[in-house]
Amino acid sequence: MPNTESNSYTILFSAILVVAVGVLLTLVFSWTNPSYLKSVELEKRQNILSAALGKSVDREQAESMFDQYITDMAMYTADGALVEDGSETAFTLNQAKEVKKGADEERFPMFKFQNGDTVRYVLGMRGTGLWGPVWGFIAIESDLNTVFNANFDHKSETPGLGAEIKTDMFEGQFRPKDGNAKELYGDDGSFKGIRVEKTGKVPQSSPEYQHVVDGISGGTITSNGVSDMLQKYLQAFTNYAEKNGLKTQGQALLVD
Amino acid sequence: MELVNIFVKSIFVDNMIFAYFLGMCSYLAVSKKVNTAVGLGLAVVFVLGITVPINYLLENYLLKPGALSWMGAEMAGIDLSFLSFIMFIAVIAATVQIVEMAVEKFSPSLYSALGIFLPLIAVNCSILGGALFMQERDYANIAQATVFGLGSGVGWFIAIVAIAAIREKIRYSNIPGPVRGLGMAFIITGLMGIAFLSFSGIKL
Amino acid sequence: MSTETTVQEKAPKAPAKPLFTAKDRKLITDPLDDDNPITVQVLGICSALAVTVQLKPALFLCMGVLFVMVFGSATISLLRNLVPSRVRIIVQLVVVAALVTVVDLALKALAYDVSKELSVFVGLIITNCIVMGRLEAFALANKPGPSILDAFGNALGYSVILIIVAIFREFFGSGSIMGFNLIPQGFYDMGYVNNGLFILPPMALILVGIIIWVQRSRNKKLIEAN
Repeated sequence: MPNTESNSYTILFSAILVVAVGVLLTLVFSWTNPSYLKSVELEKRQNILSAALGKSVDREQAESMFDQYITDMAMYTADGALVEDGSETAFTLNQAKEVKKGADEERFPMFKFQNGDTVRYVLGMRGTGLWGPVWGFIAIESDLNTVFNANFDHKSETPGLGAEIKTDMFEGQFRPKDGNAKELYGDDGSFKGIRVEKTGKVPQSSPEYQHVVDGISGGTITSNGVSDMLQKYLQAFTNYAEKNGLKTQGQALLVD
Repeated sequence: MELVNIFVKSIFVDNMIFAYFLGMCSYLAVSKKVNTAVGLGLAVVFVLGITVPINYLLENYLLKPGALSWMGAEMAGIDLSFLSFIMFIAVIAATVQIVEMAVEKFSPSLYSALGIFLPLIAVNCSILGGALFMQERDYANIAQATVFGLGSGVGWFIAIVAIAAIREKIRYSNIPGPVRGLGMAFIITGLMGIAFLSFSGIKL
Repeated sequence: MSTETTVQEKAPKAPAKPLFTAKDRKLITDPLDDDNPITVQVLGICSALAVTVQLKPALFLCMGVLFVMVFGSATISLLRNLVPSRVRIIVQLVVVAALVTVVDLALKALAYDVSKELSVFVGLIITNCIVMGRLEAFALANKPGPSILDAFGNALGYSVILIIVAIFREFFGSGSIMGFNLIPQGFYDMGYVNNGLFILPPMALILVGIIIWVQRSRNKKLIEAN
């Protein structure tokens, strides 16, 4: 038995352990990462489609359905200027990197969904929750005002609290219910966006309620993160729509 | 000014114990006496104050996607973030080991009082929590990260000293046997937590 | 409390004793009550607060902790004569963190949807002081067999409390168990409201306090002297 308390033994032991663990982790990582990245990509397609369709989509079909229904995509800046980049599309855009670039340089992805006459715009969003990033997709009807659907996900929010943003209880609030849909513009025509507020803060009878979804009790920080995220991406989308006029591109999408 | 802001915020608004309920195990177990509570509290301030900036450097120059770009352009694409847990933990454990050796040498009485909980600072959720919050909040420079670490430590320190003071006093109260001691500590912490919830959401 | 019990355990159990079965059984049953990791040893509180809002995540975490504790204890116990005492904490943590990371990475590749459910718990398991606490107090000084039993027993004792707290919090806080609504809509129509306080962490602390109260009323020897 070697003297386990000597300095040289301690250093040797630590070195072997570090190398062993490092090699093991790197091997496992390089073995698992490709199929992980593939799953992430498929899931992204799935989420974009399910936001636009309002129902869940099989992972196996995600790729072919994506090619079928997502007819166009675009990237723009916060003030709504269209961005052309030969090396990246709205789909390959890494939003985790984009959000760190700062307000002036961040590019916002948008996907156009088309199924016959139905056209919807799906926005990719990313923000910050309590423990890590939160992200999601929100689908806007072709009137550029009515919210059709949204889905959210997170990396490490607290189960049962912040993590509730990906449940139907929360996401369902973005779908039109009994003829009442969430809307981006107020009755006076000014941009309001969608906010997440404490349940009951804005009464359901108030006209403001069409811009508000109820937050998660106990998950205030995550709710606020989602709220900021929604405002930011909806504002940018509105800027883009108003500036480049989805209308003036001959698509005549605004309902008069 | 920004630094003062982060400091105050991390002590009161984002208090590790009362806002995030992190580091509860040692908080409850080592809060019988104010003296030991002060000792453990100082150790946590120290460990957080050191590990958060070290982890900040690791995160920004080693782990984060693109962090290796200082080694040349071809390294910029490497993403080692899958190693961040194990790196953070290793830094924390090493720091704790140093603190443990220092306390053992300079204050044997404190060492025997803290017992198993000194090594357990390494798994004190508030320490790893500090590193993860730092990673998430993406502080602009190392000064901000350090101030955040120290502030979180001070917040934890205040919390444990407060509960220790209450527990010392409450010993003279006539509490039903079964709930005496640990049971009461849990309940009091719950009540203090409810009180501190009023801080949450304050924006400085 | 924990300080005393763990220190006592460390020394005498190192050599294997003949009376194996009775002692082994004690290793599993003790943590369920007399030496419960949460209510007596005060280990693993943070995660008990974080995941007990609903029963499902609590069960996931219990399984994760059970798995990591058993494998971690076995590994550390096998390495126990090789680990230099000065770096033992780092060794323990690195072993646990590596174990958890490997499992997480493997799940990501093989069962992506399961891994998404579980990834959240990775950090919670690594920093769970119950894992470290038992490695430090038991596995580092004992043979693999008893260490695995000790890990198993403690993980069970931990799970029992987590499940009790989670059932109460989910039932009163959200009116459901495992996501199934148990309180009929009629109650809500009559004005019943879920108690939002149960969702917040302070209520978990108070519930654990009450569990301790009940446990010590039954088990008088755990009552603390003033």
